[in-house]
Amino acid sequence: MKFEARWLAELLDAAPPAAELAARLTDCGLLVELREQGDGSEVWDVEVTTNRPDAMNHRGLAREAAVATGSRLRPLEFELAENGDEVASLAAVEIAAGTPCSRYVARVIRGVRVGPSPEWLQRRLSNCGVRPINSAVDATNYVLLELGQPLHAFDLGRLRGRRVVVRPAAKGERLTTLDGVARELDPSMMVIADETRAVALAGIMGGAETEIHAGTTEVLLESACFDALSVRRTARRLGMHTEASHRFERGADPEIAAVACDRAAHLIAELAGGELATGRIDVWPRPWQPRRIELSVAALAAFAGLEIPAARVEAILGGLGFAPARSGDTVRVAVPAFRVDVERVADLYEEVLRHVGYGAVPAALPVLPTAPGKRHPNWQLVDRARDAALAAGLAEVVTWSFIDPGADRLVASQPLCPGPAATLANPLATTQSVLRRSLLPGLLSAAQGNLNQGERSLALFEQGRVFAGGAAGPSEPERLGIVLRDDGGDAEARFRRLKGVVEHVGTKVGLPALHWRAGGNPWLDETAGAILETADGRAVGLAGLLAPEIAAHWDLGAGVAVAELALDTATAPPLPRFAALARFPPVVMDMTVEHGSELGYAGLEAATRELAGEHVEGLGFVTRYHLPDGSGRVRTTLRLVYRHAERSLTQDEVNAWHADLRRGLAERLGVGFA
Amino acid sequence: MSTARLEEVRRAFVAELEQAGTSADGVEKVRVKFAGQRSGKLKELAEALRALPNDQKRDYGRALNELKQEIESRLAEAKQAAVTEIRVKDPGTANAKGHAPTVAVGRPVDVTLPGLPVARGAEHPVHIVRRRIEEIFLRMGYDVEAGPEVEDDWHNFEALNIPPDHPARDDQDTFYLADGHLLRTHTSPVQARVMESRQPPIRIVVPGRVFRRDSDLRHSPMFHQIEGLLVDEGITFGHLKATLEAFLHELFSDRVAVRLRPGYFPFTEPSAEVDISCIFCAQKGCGVCSGSGWIEILGSGMVDPRVFEAVGIDAGRYTGFAFGLGLDRVAMLVYGIPDLRQLFAGDQRLTRQFA
Repeated sequence: MKFEARWLAELLDAAPPAAELAARLTDCGLLVELREQGDGSEVWDVEVTTNRPDAMNHRGLAREAAVATGSRLRPLEFELAENGDEVASLAAVEIAAGTPCSRYVARVIRGVRVGPSPEWLQRRLSNCGVRPINSAVDATNYVLLELGQPLHAFDLGRLRGRRVVVRPAAKGERLTTLDGVARELDPSMMVIADETRAVALAGIMGGAETEIHAGTTEVLLESACFDALSVRRTARRLGMHTEASHRFERGADPEIAAVACDRAAHLIAELAGGELATGRIDVWPRPWQPRRIELSVAALAAFAGLEIPAARVEAILGGLGFAPARSGDTVRVAVPAFRVDVERVADLYEEVLRHVGYGAVPAALPVLPTAPGKRHPNWQLVDRARDAALAAGLAEVVTWSFIDPGADRLVASQPLCPGPAATLANPLATTQSVLRRSLLPGLLSAAQGNLNQGERSLALFEQGRVFAGGAAGPSEPERLGIVLRDDGGDAEARFRRLKGVVEHVGTKVGLPALHWRAGGNPWLDETAGAILETADGRAVGLAGLLAPEIAAHWDLGAGVAVAELALDTATAPPLPRFAALARFPPVVMDMTVEHGSELGYAGLEAATRELAGEHVEGLGFVTRYHLPDGSGRVRTTLRLVYRHAERSLTQDEVNAWHADLRRGLAERLGVGFA
Repeated sequence: MSTARLEEVRRAFVAELEQAGTSADGVEKVRVKFAGQRSGKLKELAEALRALPNDQKRDYGRALNELKQEIESRLAEAKQAAVTEIRVKDPGTANAKGHAPTVAVGRPVDVTLPGLPVARGAEHPVHIVRRRIEEIFLRMGYDVEAGPEVEDDWHNFEALNIPPDHPARDDQDTFYLADGHLLRTHTSPVQARVMESRQPPIRIVVPGRVFRRDSDLRHSPMFHQIEGLLVDEGITFGHLKATLEAFLHELFSDRVAVRLRPGYFPFTEPSAEVDISCIFCAQKGCGVCSGSGWIEILGSGMVDPRVFEAVGIDAGRYTGFAFGLGLDRVAMLVYGIPDLRQLFAGDQRLTRQFA
């Protein structure tokens, strides 16, 4: 919010130089963000937090400045010349029962000649970012900047029945506000009305028909207290935000309403001439009572970690308007009407502490048990996955948790889809309106972006949550997604590279043993995709080359390998156990098996392992050759490592075992040998 | 055959061994020629013994023995000193015997050629920063907690002293789901959940993804925070100050100055904005600190008694402090990343810079 530094200084006795004043304000919590030269004065941009409407005006800020710099706030002095008729004979005010308006003060000035304001006033308004309009309106804006009370000037001559009523709007009632917008109202909104129609949106904006204009001669000046919640709800529903609503939403000072009304009436009479009616209308059904709080100086010291002399506590609270009275350790205060934020003793601690200065509090580390910190199992899990992917050489990306509905519809066909989609009620854009049910759409968009930037090989992963809505309430399981792409290699090579990464991650994360079953269509290519299942048949992952239709959706070429793993079935892998190191030399034997493609490697391997006997220490895949004769048969070469724990093996005995193995495999699987 | 023949052999042996030098191959050849089991000179000389007249046998035998010992000991010496010889087969390549596979050497390697790339994983900068901060607090005995990203109004707002229609809800414009849940706007709801589930002492940090309905250079609808909470008897504002100083010194440098300014958060009272002295310009004023010499780094304060009341902790007995900071902001600051949204574009060129 903008403040004129010269104006602030005028409100203080013995104000320090601007630089010091700005520094002290910053120290006590009113951050002077920007100081720049305005017209005839420095202009400051001060960050006033939402809980401090009292400091959103020059006198309020000066009050803080006085305490912060040890100077004094000058009293507000002006002479009110009431020289007209009794106000009660000129206008009437009513607050309809149950309307959230705690006070309505009004004054009447007659015989005004509205014109431009004097230069000093225009300059001051301009410096504070307010556009000068005419002397009557400018006077109300000036008082807003000075005292923080939003005011409104009506052309009394245009108020039918010469009266105002604060009441809920009627259903469908219409009002054209000062900004020229015709608005349709409803009974949740509070309006100021005359005898027949709404003339202003209470606490937000006046109406166009009753505004001050060049021909106005009679002014009714409104200074009221509207309920914060009511103003806030109405302003939000109508999409409005004004100087007035900004303040009322944060809480108005009921006591200042009368003072501000007098002050503005005085200014209007001075600037626009006319005579001020005697007395003011003041509808205040339940006058304000101050809240009283007690503070213990010792408890404050214990809370702060700093001894603060009682006299200093009193001086600070006194300067801020809390009228402290001390007896012994106890300081009793009455919270002033302008401090809507102060309700409890903790709030008083803050008042004292911020003026003592946070810098004055000595830093002391708390003494606590030396128990080591623990990481939540979920963090342990996801970081195991992250570490495994990093160890596999992948680069981590973080993509949006919300995705395009079109991409989400594709996800519905995934075997891992966690449930019905959760949709945002108020997305920033429709392309980001559905919570992701898979990490793959985000990763594929990332892949596309990378390829567009000329990257040729991709090795990406994301660890994060996916979301599902539905009747059972929201769920957000943890996932790991992977995208790999290289320039070289056939489908088998690409698939095996991906599988290597997935198997490595699965082991490191502690996923249960995974069964790779061909599938995953329509996401994965029919000829190069797999669903990963646990022993009990639950799908916990998918891995393979992207199906052409899905690749096309993200404008990706062929050969992109993707995987997604559900991490919630994982358990921390057990601590590795040492296995005795073999002392005798191995005998390595390769075996090339010729078989039909219906026999997968997994079946061949399982049978070989079972038939190989106890002295086969290792069994691995070497290569596979597809016979070019059109038979669809393949030759798979396996490597067996024979070893005896207690002696060297002879080639003859290994040859005999190996021959038994071949016979056994031929019998069981009907395979041949090359 | 006589001892003269022995001397002749000895001389030949010495000469040939000398010629073999330190070549393992050469030494081996000499060994075969002189001490070989099948056809070595020594074997030949020993066979000649039988043919000698008896009177010469004694002298010859002794001399032969001496020669044998000499040859064997010198062979052993030479063998020890020998190195494997690399035989040049044809220009540019050579075989080192006993090594498989064959290593091609001979042509000088351009040692300025680049090394082959290693498959390095690269962690996202936000997570690098998260783990560093977790580590600092784990060392101070804080637990690292987790909680849901889809939250309810109670934990995200009401329990934290942000009732409906509170103006602070404007600052945290919220994404709502169709079913009334919301995306958490900060990690603080996990504080509320932890305090609801256990009694003090509580010492936690909570990292995680958060969401606000906002998007520009400095705001992203999705970002990351880490939140800290300590609740116990007798916790003071001075404890908060020291903890933040210790943390920020550890994260940045012991040389950074830490400044607490009064601020406002609905869930803390008093509240403090925390600045560090600019790490880029030594407080002379630069673009990063907008010339002020200070960088706003986190928000903090003493837990508002209303929050304790809402979650069932005795506000008369316990006090505590809380703080929170943006992980993305720290990453941007530390690594000089200008646009927050760039962190979530999935560009591997960004991540790879931090491998």
